[in-house]
Amino acid sequence: MNRAAFFVAVLAAAPAAVADDPVADLSYKTRLVAEHHDLRGDSVFAPGLPLTGFGRDRGRLEQEVRGRLGPASLLLTGTVFSQEGQTPAARLLANEAYVDFRAGENHFTIGKKILSGDVAFGFRPIDVIQRELRLQVLPPALEGVPNLTWERFTKDTAWSVVLANPGHGQRGDPKRDGSLTVRHYRRSGGTDVHAVARISDRYRLETGAALSAVPDESLELHASFLVQRRGERLTPLAEPATTSALLDPDRAFGVTSLNTPRKALAGFTWTWESGWSVIGETWWDGTAPTAADWQTLAAQARRRNALLGLPGVPAAAVAGSLAASTRLFQAPGVSRRTALAHLGWTDPAGGGWTASLDILRTLEDGGWTATAAVGWEADRVRFDAGMRRFGGKPDSVYRLLPERGILFAGVSLAF
Amino acid sequence: MSDRLERLATLVLPGFAILLLAVPACAADVKALLKDADRFRLTEESLRVETEAKVYKAGVLDKTRLYNVYVKPGRRSLVVFRSPSERGQKLLMLADDFWLVLPGSQRPLRITPLQKLLGDASTGDVASLAWSEDYDGTIEGEQLVEGIPCIKLDITGQRKGVSYPRIVLYLARDGHYPVQAELYVASDKLAKLATFKLGVEGGRRVVSTMILVDRLQKDRRTELNYLARTRKTLPDEYYNPAFLVRADIEN
Repeated sequence: MNRAAFFVAVLAAAPAAVADDPVADLSYKTRLVAEHHDLRGDSVFAPGLPLTGFGRDRGRLEQEVRGRLGPASLLLTGTVFSQEGQTPAARLLANEAYVDFRAGENHFTIGKKILSGDVAFGFRPIDVIQRELRLQVLPPALEGVPNLTWERFTKDTAWSVVLANPGHGQRGDPKRDGSLTVRHYRRSGGTDVHAVARISDRYRLETGAALSAVPDESLELHASFLVQRRGERLTPLAEPATTSALLDPDRAFGVTSLNTPRKALAGFTWTWESGWSVIGETWWDGTAPTAADWQTLAAQARRRNALLGLPGVPAAAVAGSLAASTRLFQAPGVSRRTALAHLGWTDPAGGGWTASLDILRTLEDGGWTATAAVGWEADRVRFDAGMRRFGGKPDSVYRLLPERGILFAGVSLAF
Repeated sequence: MSDRLERLATLVLPGFAILLLAVPACAADVKALLKDADRFRLTEESLRVETEAKVYKAGVLDKTRLYNVYVKPGRRSLVVFRSPSERGQKLLMLADDFWLVLPGSQRPLRITPLQKLLGDASTGDVASLAWSEDYDGTIEGEQLVEGIPCIKLDITGQRKGVSYPRIVLYLARDGHYPVQAELYVASDKLAKLATFKLGVEGGRRVVSTMILVDRLQKDRRTELNYLARTRKTLPDEYYNPAFLVRADIEN
């Protein structure tokens, strides 16, 4: 089904939805976000970085409309995006446009809707439909997934069958792949149990489960697990690499097929009466690059640098291949074994202040990120500001990242 | 001898008088008193309450927040956040368990009882409209509060998920409507002092406003105005955490 036909179907379904919906019930939010990116001067990728977005300051102005128009639920955003060295660009996006309706005991959704899943904070193994990127600074609103969904609920259980991206086979982005997913939720005593099974061309069958429980008024425990029949891992150019291969940007990285990779996470949240909270999580991502992959990437970058100035080696070819190799940093997960500590504070008296400190460690290679942020919210205005630093042992992923850190700030006005 | 008798009378008579006053109150069952008091906020077993929270800082209005609260027997409350800055948030309370949906993620997030107390106007205060299902305790006597003769109750939460493990509650001796409540957090610190204003809705007296004065940050005051109460019974499935991301109710 093409996109136009899909949205015609959404509109056709609209009259079948709840009849007493108000005509329009919308709220608006304007948001300005600015980021200063501090380039790592001694990066092994330095000659290629002018061809990438690393180290470029950027900003965006977003206008968001959220709510209902008749029976349709909407989340629309208009964004003007600007990056240092580039002309500003504008984009209008329907992040969500869907209709939820029921027929007897059966509930249906048709349209584009955010379909996040899982119980964790830093990494979400069973978020197999939305595939939300985690731990971004001041991220834009999520973009939903076109879907047809049937759901059935009792007091304590739920079953969903989700046909996502109908008519799509395998696309460039796994989120845009066509897939069929069965989701189950059960409230068992004080524990939430989630189970999922998804079939797609790319990963074939993915099955997983997640648990979340609150055994004490301060403590929440969670865990999540997924196994894929087939997985994919971004890898650097295979060794031994010839000089011509090193200079070919199309071969700077590849996709390795994996047999039954697994993802797993365990974590907790501890909350104090004073407004402080701690989240601790550790996870395994069998589809992320290994420490050896990052070491190989670094070694190849040094070899590419060594080719600079040699007769017959165009500097542009070296820069291009170095730039292309940095695509490995865009892998959905960058480390197989990771630990996260999140310390948060919310003003318990409702003063509107929040503060947080996140420390993330990549356990295989000794890399780290540290993020400190503060926020303040008044009646309709919200300010956020913070900084993130990257570091670690030589050739660890976050020491290799061509940026030392990011300063960020955002202000939003709701009306 | 007469001096002795006089002294004895001075000591004994006030105690006897207090005892006489306390007997009718003691005779009343605490649970029954709490049920009577609940009827001034929870006018139906299942209903939708439109609530406005006004937060004042040093006497100046700081924030206004709007909520729709859907209450159902069995300690079930669903809070839909209606203010533009909080649009898309929902909080579900099922007995001792709590879930939050944030607009950015659209998935039910399990939270601890302490987490629900945080925020502008604590959603625990907004969502909790009854004491009788959660608390039991003792009658501590009678006391005048703002000129109203009140029965003083010292009640403690019978479940782990209650917003305040201990409440000292003052109910009007005539009518048993709530007049004042001292709200204590888990460390037994007095966190808030609540006072109740009555109004008339549909020909009956109801709590129209609950004023919460923060005892830890004394310049903060929150007014919860119950704008409208409508009889509404949502199906059980609407109180299923997995249902929260659906737009069938409102979003």
